[in-house]
Amino acid sequence: MGKAFDPSLIVDFIPTLIYYLGVTLQILAASVLLGMVIGIAAAILRLFRIPVLNQFVILYISFIRGTPILIQLFLVFYGLPAILLFINIDISRMDALYFVIITYALSNGAHFAEIFRGAIKAVDYGQTEAAYSVGMNNSQSFFRIVLPQAIRIAFPNIANSIIGSLKDTSLAFTIGVMDMMGRGETLIAATAHALEVYLSLAVIYYAVVLLFEKIFRLYENRINRHQTVDVSVTG
Amino acid sequence: MTIDILFIWTAFKEIIKALPITLILTILPLLAGFIIGLAVALIRIYKVKFLCRVANVYVSFFRGTPIIMHIMLIYFGFPLLIDQISKKFDLGIQSNSIPIILFVLTALSLSAGAYLSEIFRSGIISVSNGQMEAAYSVGMNSFQAMTRIVLPQAIAQSIPNFTNIFIGFLHTSSIAFIVSQKEMTGAANIVASTNLKFLESFIAAGLIYWGLTIIAEGLSFLIEKKATAYNRGGVQ
Repeated sequence: MGKAFDPSLIVDFIPTLIYYLGVTLQILAASVLLGMVIGIAAAILRLFRIPVLNQFVILYISFIRGTPILIQLFLVFYGLPAILLFINIDISRMDALYFVIITYALSNGAHFAEIFRGAIKAVDYGQTEAAYSVGMNNSQSFFRIVLPQAIRIAFPNIANSIIGSLKDTSLAFTIGVMDMMGRGETLIAATAHALEVYLSLAVIYYAVVLLFEKIFRLYENRINRHQTVDVSVTG
Repeated sequence: MTIDILFIWTAFKEIIKALPITLILTILPLLAGFIIGLAVALIRIYKVKFLCRVANVYVSFFRGTPIIMHIMLIYFGFPLLIDQISKKFDLGIQSNSIPIILFVLTALSLSAGAYLSEIFRSGIISVSNGQMEAAYSVGMNSFQAMTRIVLPQAIAQSIPNFTNIFIGFLHTSSIAFIVSQKEMTGAANIVASTNLKFLESFIAAGLIYWGLTIIAEGLSFLIEKKATAYNRGGVQ
């Protein structure tokens, strides 16, 4: 086993672990994209107050915001096969990765729905009226005028949500997914150097989060480039 | 595999016994984090030399890494550190006699401090400078102006954010089950694996967390109404 704590191992572990960063990013990308679709659909159902579905979306958002992601992960992992068995589809042998993606997509969807709804409501109604006055129809005024402005308002929150989601993916190993954490666990089992493994993981996560923050900030500056100074205090 | 509805109730009764540990793992870190967060926020606002740099790194690191990392790093790191120190100074403290929950509480407190400091900072910045000037004009010093005028307003305005953090940490405490703490998720896991009824147990646990969240949101709404009663807007 050697020394109890060997700092040089931290550097040695990073290449092995970073190889699995792809899986983490794959979970993140798939769940964010699916979450966007769910989020936009849910936000539209809420904004136009479609009966029954509106109440269903409220319940869905409340549930996702009211339970830990870990519980959601277990519920999807054990619940989805049980539900699908009723219609004779057996997915109990499906790769755990897909359960993780489904869970995080549902979770992201609920958060995005609230963010989109808030952002669309935050756009001044005068904008829609102005769009009508120059002869645009409903969908033109929504897609050309309201939505671009709503995206600008929503972007910082979406970015936060994505970074939060990236950190949440570190829990996927609890249902046996081989992402960075999962590989870390096997490294610990093989080398018994738990502290060094977690330090390397922390370094990788931190670096990725910093990189994401940088990219998001650049993009945010870009979409805010037409704004006058008084709107964005921090800009 | 069918769902045993009755077992959800059995599991519910079993899991709710672990509620105190979940609440301890939520409330104690937030109380510690409240003090750390306030100190860090003030250091960063007043740009105290050197400490400001440390505070920036602390907040950035703890907000930039998953909380499970903090728990694991402290869970594996502190025992090593404690054993080294105790060997050097002959203190006779052994790390394996320290209950694991203390490591979890330390880790969660440090993360809570980082998250809360950002909330304090935004709360304090949102109070207009005129309030500070008005306090000076009636003869208060900086400390009085801060504690009597600025902080009460900053905290009252931050109540929705505090609620979010509370709910976030209520949910985060579920991670403690990974280091074999018997809080609600841990209890659900035990009930699930002894009875081989995973879905039912986690449904029960989910319902308890959901209920707690709804209660927390309701309470926060009432407190916010009371705390921001001074702020009636420009008219009236």
